[in-house]
Amino acid sequence: MQPEELVKILAADATPVRRLSPPMVRLVIWLGISVAYAALVVWLMGLRPDIASKLADTRFAVELAATFMTAVLAALAAFCAGCPGRPIWERYAPLPALALWILSLGEGCWRSFAAGGTEGLSFRLDFVCLPSIVLVSLVPGALMLMMIRRGAPTAPITTTALAALAAGALGATALRLFHAQDASVMVLVWQFGSVALLAGLGALVGRRLLPWPSPGVASS
Amino acid sequence: MRAAQDGDQSAYGALLAEMLPILRLFVRRKWGNAQDVDDIVQDILLSLHAVRHTYDPSRPFLPWLLTIAYRRIADAARRSSSRSSYETTVDVMPETFAGGEPKSGQERSDDQAAIQQSLADLTTGQREAIELVKVQGLSLKEASAVTGKSVASLKVNIHRAVKALRRSITTKT
Repeated sequence: MQPEELVKILAADATPVRRLSPPMVRLVIWLGISVAYAALVVWLMGLRPDIASKLADTRFAVELAATFMTAVLAALAAFCAGCPGRPIWERYAPLPALALWILSLGEGCWRSFAAGGTEGLSFRLDFVCLPSIVLVSLVPGALMLMMIRRGAPTAPITTTALAALAAGALGATALRLFHAQDASVMVLVWQFGSVALLAGLGALVGRRLLPWPSPGVASS
Repeated sequence: MRAAQDGDQSAYGALLAEMLPILRLFVRRKWGNAQDVDDIVQDILLSLHAVRHTYDPSRPFLPWLLTIAYRRIADAARRSSSRSSYETTVDVMPETFAGGEPKSGQERSDDQAAIQQSLADLTTGQREAIELVKVQGLSLKEASAVTGKSVASLKVNIHRAVKALRRSITTKT
């Protein structure tokens, strides 16, 4: 078949389509549902008892805000990546928030080290973080997947990595509110590590999760 | 494109027809093999049709189109490189034999005159059995009906004939 014939077939198949909403609108929809779900999980698990004093602590507040902003910006970037022709820099939007998150954790590690030497960096296994983050990010992640599949897979690996980063960072934000674990090195390894792991897994399955949709016209 | 999203088929057809030369040029520039250009252009057309709802009318059309085109060319390149990893393109089909040795061996066994001679040397019963069962391909039962000999005697004749043929051909060559 010649491309000219295909053009005729496709033109005859051009039924009206519902336009993809702008990334901002989709972000608001995703955040609305996901934050409500995360809040529900936090409520079920019980807020940490020292939450009031923690929120007054600038360091904790900055870290929490950076984690949440990472989720928001990664989600926005994932939605943008599904719209062909949008500028590439949008996909790097979560980097500043991500950097602030790592910096705040790194600064915390440094303070512990300055205060207690290597003792301050004592490291234990924590089996709460990864499962909790996965639990919280399950619904946001599934919703995100449904939403990015509506977009075009012009950057499948980046898109799913950003989507997993968004869901994971939202999970980490919620975890900070109900899990009383404040040693920066622990948060860095177990919470940030879990989110990084999720984002990596997201990148690995990108091509599989976001194939090019078949146009649904007879290809003969 | 905005009209196409709303279902205007003639506007969509006109737009795609107008875009065809641009797509062809774009693919030809990125893809070395001119034979594949139309295939990739069709891939791009199908893909853009499938995601036509992702076009935002407030943004320029060409970057949208060319991003999809670029992506599909990259996908085609990946497909072709994974295919070529287990395929080899050759100009001349390689010879299945290299020297004269194996070939002359085959010619020896195919030596018609020697086989004819050896067949002629067999007894009548042996030759008849060989011709019916091994050359014409009759079953032992059919051959037995034709010759009036028992299946057992045909078997003995064939066995002896093959032995004699093998002996006479190996001694002759």
